[in-house]
Amino acid sequence: MSYATVFKDETKLDINYTPSKLQHRNFQLKLLNQYFRHAIETPGKMTQRVIITGKVGTGKTVLTQLFGREITREAQRRNINLRYIHLNCRQNKGSFFLTLQQIVTQFHPTFPKRGYSAEELLQALIQILDTQNVHLIVTLDELESLIQNEGSEPLYKLSRIEETRPKTPRRLSLICILRELDWLNKLDASTRSTLQSNIIQLDAYTKTQLKDILNDRITLAFKPGTTPVETIEFAAELGTEEGGNARYAIELIWRAGKYADTEGDKEVSPEHVRRAVETVYAGIRRDEIAALDLHKKLFLLGISRRFQLTKGAYLSMGEAEEAYTIVCEEFDKKPRGHTQLWKYAKELSNLGIIKAEPSTSGQRGKTTLIGLPHITATNLETELNKILQHAKRG
Amino acid sequence: MMIEDIFSSRGRVRILRILFEIEELNISEIARRAGLNYTTTNQHLQMLEKAGLIRHKSFGRIRIYRFNEENAKVRVIKDLMAVWEQGSKQT
Ligand SMILES: Nc1ncnc2c1ncn2[C@@H]1O[C@H](COP(=O)(O)OP(=O)(O)OP(=O)(O)O)[C@@H](O)[C@H]1O
Ligand SMILES: [Mg+2]
Repeated sequence: MSYATVFKDETKLDINYTPSKLQHRNFQLKLLNQYFRHAIETPGKMTQRVIITGKVGTGKTVLTQLFGREITREAQRRNINLRYIHLNCRQNKGSFFLTLQQIVTQFHPTFPKRGYSAEELLQALIQILDTQNVHLIVTLDELESLIQNEGSEPLYKLSRIEETRPKTPRRLSLICILRELDWLNKLDASTRSTLQSNIIQLDAYTKTQLKDILNDRITLAFKPGTTPVETIEFAAELGTEEGGNARYAIELIWRAGKYADTEGDKEVSPEHVRRAVETVYAGIRRDEIAALDLHKKLFLLGISRRFQLTKGAYLSMGEAEEAYTIVCEEFDKKPRGHTQLWKYAKELSNLGIIKAEPSTSGQRGKTTLIGLPHITATNLETELNKILQHAKRG
Repeated sequence: MMIEDIFSSRGRVRILRILFEIEELNISEIARRAGLNYTTTNQHLQMLEKAGLIRHKSFGRIRIYRFNEENAKVRVIKDLMAVWEQGSKQT
């Protein structure tokens, strides 16, 4: 039994796939290489700190990963012991300890998981780098979570560690990825100033740039002749409207291809893209929702259901809490308290999934208002139901 | 140290096997996997280290043990264990 498909290799569309070349980021890649030239030419003489910033889907992650791949290859050629480690702070729950642990286990996979502090772990890391004579570039991706969770301290310690050991070779360089530079204001002044000198800004992609990115990816992932120019045009345009978001454009074309397949069409049409628009959410990442704690998911589920009832633009915190309590009953979980939920609302807002802001008018007292700007309530509920299915059974 | 001294203890053989499988590990984890208490594990490890079979690295309070690959006996012990494992899979 065989069935037709427009795809040649769907793995090339996966969020974990790193393309071997980038469109329209050559300048930034060169800049990054320049900042780290000393790591190749005079290893140990100095370390570097670079901040990469840009909106959702502007290529921050892919740019640094590609840079990491290239610089380690170049170092190998020159017999320099250089390692590049890319860490996602959100996936490490914004914990400094877990972040450091992830680095250390790259060198000692069975390093004990418990029984010591982040401070000791950092010392262990430096010791490892010294004994193995390694130069390390660490990328802290989605650094927002780490700052939100632990404030200034992790970055303070990471950027000071070299200064506490003046006569030894410099070993630890940092690349920090932030969507918004505002986050730097949450750091103490001295940490901020040590980080701030090299900033690489990734601008939103234009429509033409998105078309080039899409074309490259389509050649890898789709069979020839399955994606007409007008379809690519359309997806690129939608990506531009969503803030020049390449991830969104790629997801749209992927989903559109899926619709073409289910309908047995040989070509991906703009209509398939239109249908994809209904199920792909630009500002929100599926994996972000899936990675949330159970109670945050339940809170979101309550919110999404209440919005479908009220049809208003905002919910009061009280309404959201009530909806959440009902959901907890359904899932047979003990509801979290008011303060905890208020914290959830702020965190979910920082992730861009909801919008939580203090009410301005005195009418409703001084409550927090919750909005849902990036996704329809029905789509959010569908998504959560999918993710939560087994939580209920279990 | 005589060969009997090393291999006369189930606990020590167990520890050697764990290091053979996991390569490097801290004391608490070795103790847990061996089903021994901390003090006993520590004593075994010290004896094995004195015999030159294993060595450790310290990271602050953390000590991590592994085989001492420079010791010729270690190569033979590891071979023995590999062959033994093979054998027990076949029968
Ligand atoms: N210049 C480019 N050339 C080819 N593919 C790109 C380019 N920029 C981005 N992409 C692709 O677009 C998607 C989104 O890019 P990436 O994940 O790097 O964005 P990001 O800036 O890290 O977004 P976020 O802030 O959400 O983490 C990825 O699949 C990536 O491979
Ligand atoms: Mg990213």
